[in-house]
Amino acid sequence: MRAGWMVLLFLTVGGQARAQDHRLTDRLDPATAAAVQRVVDSAAHEGLPTEPLIQKALEGGTLGAPGDRIVYAVGALHGQLGRARAALGGRASEADLTAAAGALRAGLPPDALQRLQSLRGDRPLVVPIAVLTDLVADGVPPDEATRSVLDLAREGRPDEAFMALREGRGAPSGPEPGGRPPLRPAADPPVDR
Amino acid sequence: MSVEPNDEIRDPVLQRAIAELQRPVTLDAEVERRALDRIRAGAGSGRRFQRLAWLGAALAAGIAFLLVGHPPAPKNPPMVSGTRPVLIRLAAPASRVAVVGDFNDWDPAATPLRRAGDGATWTVELHLKPGRYHYTFLIDGRRWAGDPDGPRAVESDFGAPVSVLTVS
Repeated sequence: MRAGWMVLLFLTVGGQARAQDHRLTDRLDPATAAAVQRVVDSAAHEGLPTEPLIQKALEGGTLGAPGDRIVYAVGALHGQLGRARAALGGRASEADLTAAAGALRAGLPPDALQRLQSLRGDRPLVVPIAVLTDLVADGVPPDEATRSVLDLAREGRPDEAFMALREGRGAPSGPEPGGRPPLRPAADPPVDR
Repeated sequence: MSVEPNDEIRDPVLQRAIAELQRPVTLDAEVERRALDRIRAGAGSGRRFQRLAWLGAALAAGIAFLLVGHPPAPKNPPMVSGTRPVLIRLAAPASRVAVVGDFNDWDPAATPLRRAGDGATWTVELHLKPGRYHYTFLIDGRRWAGDPDGPRAVESDFGAPVSVLTVS
């Protein structure tokens, strides 16, 4: 009888890892959902975060992207998460890995992330990496952006100092926690769906 | 079962056969004991069958839960420990505005914005854990617009303008 319950436990726990995420099956066509689920399963097997992959697929579904484009974007993000983990190590948090994947996509080299990590110690990397990414996306040369961010990290400055660096460079600050961002009319004409 | 005498049967062979069939059967005591032992053993295997049936039912229930029992994921819980309030704003002429992003499964129905007193500004307060989020606005249910106050995402894969939000 005990063996029977062990079998039940094995099937239940093992089945969770293989079960399709209902958000994918609810929001994507069956072929796309299955292809994305394979990437998600592969990431889970490698110990990579899976939620960013699911969110990328849901983003594509909501924005009306074709299935092959969704699968391609999810696969690309999977690769970026793997490279981020290779740069930051297995102990990096999901938030840090997700931010680092975006930085690598923006063209920042892995060693910039590693130097930042060594300077920050055990403190979260999300904000410095995000600011670094935003600066590069805003046109600041990667070397210059990296140097500025690493200088702040070397001085042990708090997250607010990194945010101020971004604003000082003229990059839009975005919504701030509890803050009141300046109101401007939409700078870009909305894109028709 | 008993066989009634049948006067119409005249064949003596058939009549002897009928008489033999009507004779009561008596079992040897050892045969009877062995038969009862077999019956008791059969009752034991019935209990095993009952256990297997319960196990099968439990397995079926577990599989059914995996297939259909997933509760819907919370979109944006009002206040969770470790979250920070973030005010999302958009100034745009519209009759309705929603924000979609990594924080609400990109669900256009999950997070509508409220019109402010000036009639042209739309706001909503989110509670988010530290991290980097992608989001965009849906205006009047048919137009996508990035946040003019937020950095544009380099990871915009699907054509629509996507902004990024960093929560420390």
